[in-house]
Amino acid sequence: MIKLCFSHDLQVLYFNNHIFILYTPLNDTLQAETAALVYLPLDYLLMSFVFEELGINFQHIQQKTLTVLNPLKQTDGSIMNETDLTGPVVFCLALGTTLLLAGKVHFGYVYGISALGCLGMYMLLNLMSRIEVSCGCVASVLGYCLLPMVSLSSFAVFFSLQSIFGIVLAVIVIGWCSLSASKIFVATLAMDGQQLLIAYPCALLYGVFALLTVF
Amino acid sequence: KKINEFGETGPAFPNLERLWGGGSAVIDMENMDDTSGSSFEDMGEMHQRMKEEEEVTEEAAAAEDGEDGEFLGMKGIKGQLGRQVADEVWQAGKRQASKAFNLYANIDILRPYFDVEPVQVRNRLLESLIPVRMINFPQKVAGELYGPMMLVFTLVAILLHGMKTSGTVIREGTLMGTAIGTCFGYWLGVSSFIYFLAYLCNAQITMLQMLSLLGYGLFGHCVVLLVTYNVHFHSLFYILWLIIGGLSTIRMVAVLLSRTVGQTPRLILCGTLAALHMLFLLYLHFTYHKIVEGILDTLEGPNIPPIQRVARDVPVVSANLVNVTLKAVGLAS
Repeated sequence: MIKLCFSHDLQVLYFNNHIFILYTPLNDTLQAETAALVYLPLDYLLMSFVFEELGINFQHIQQKTLTVLNPLKQTDGSIMNETDLTGPVVFCLALGTTLLLAGKVHFGYVYGISALGCLGMYMLLNLMSRIEVSCGCVASVLGYCLLPMVSLSSFAVFFSLQSIFGIVLAVIVIGWCSLSASKIFVATLAMDGQQLLIAYPCALLYGVFALLTVF
Repeated sequence: KKINEFGETGPAFPNLERLWGGGSAVIDMENMDDTSGSSFEDMGEMHQRMKEEEEVTEEAAAAEDGEDGEFLGMKGIKGQLGRQVADEVWQAGKRQASKAFNLYANIDILRPYFDVEPVQVRNRLLESLIPVRMINFPQKVAGELYGPMMLVFTLVAILLHGMKTSGTVIREGTLMGTAIGTCFGYWLGVSSFIYFLAYLCNAQITMLQMLSLLGYGLFGHCVVLLVTYNVHFHSLFYILWLIIGGLSTIRMVAVLLSRTVGQTPRLILCGTLAALHMLFLLYLHFTYHKIVEGILDTLEGPNIPPIQRVARDVPVVSANLVNVTLKAVGLAS
């Protein structure tokens, strides 16, 4: 048992990879003492501080990932209030890794196409919508919707996609990605009735990723 | 240039002003050189000037503490004078650059051209293949950039797909760069050229309308290439080239005819556009299609000459060679 902090009513102790916080408020008469003890696993405590510092919120990441995976579900516009680039970067790395597993070293292409695609979509969305959107938000949405493409490229590790079945699968995945992306953009930017107009450029962008994956 | 009460011009360095002119009436002539009429520029300049004055007074306050009155560059370029010169030049340059940037890189001027509905885009795509009948009065041309830009990007994607399927190797550059360069170069370059010709021929068409017209004319190209990059039949390509390419060309030509007067100008303008549009489709098809045939030939047997498109004097060849070549082209089973 190691005492980390010792004051008259608060003690912080470390024992067996756990932090114990013992709070014993003393009232005036010293007749009744109450104590409260809470213990936290040290790793969880440290990592939660680290993630909070870095701005990584696992719940949000999970929520956004589920939104992408189910393109037919209704989504609300507040989902993209905080720009989060952790998920997108992880998905780009995952795409590059799965391509690597299939024998194609295309990390540079993935980063380059993502950057150019984000820039292009950012300019197009700013021209088409009344609400101003930031480049980080666009990058975040496009990155999250890359997840089905990661699954396509992991499928390509085991089976070649240069067949009719592969092309049909690629077209389905492109449609899935662009539908999710356009759904989130429309919800965030309140552009009702223009979902198809936004889905098409997204489909072109994801089509280039699919070309990388298939060929 | 600043003029003091004696009518003499002085240095442009505000720090030295008080040493030289004693802080008396100074007329700032800089504003009079400004010949711009735009209030936006004036606002920008005023804002810049206010920021600069703040920075300069800050610098003056800092400099006062540091220097002991050594002001006339006792240390030369590295001294106070040199630093101030460099600073002035930098500030002036920064001001000019930010003015130019705010004026020209303002993307909002393109905003009205992207305000479209999906139904409108669909209708315009279908109309681009339907030639208009009336050429006696100017036909309406949609002035939007969303459809044309998406069509150019679609053409890029189709080209990339065709290049990948046929295994094209580009030595000087990248596949993506070539595809983007070709498509955007055609759209922007030919639009500008035809607009220039239209200006010479006194046709009533603006640059935006020309970009829009040519962009929508690429819809036919996209359809033809999408079909023929996947189904390799020469005759099918020629039929589609004539019909679909022809329809979109006739549509564009009819619109231009309706906006031009005079036989010769009409002939020059429409002939040029028709020739460029049809030849571009031929070019796109044959640049990448030939590679497929070349690969098929080399795979099927050795010493086979490349496909002869023009009838030539063929030296004595074996019957086998002729048969294999015919099979590769698909004319004989």
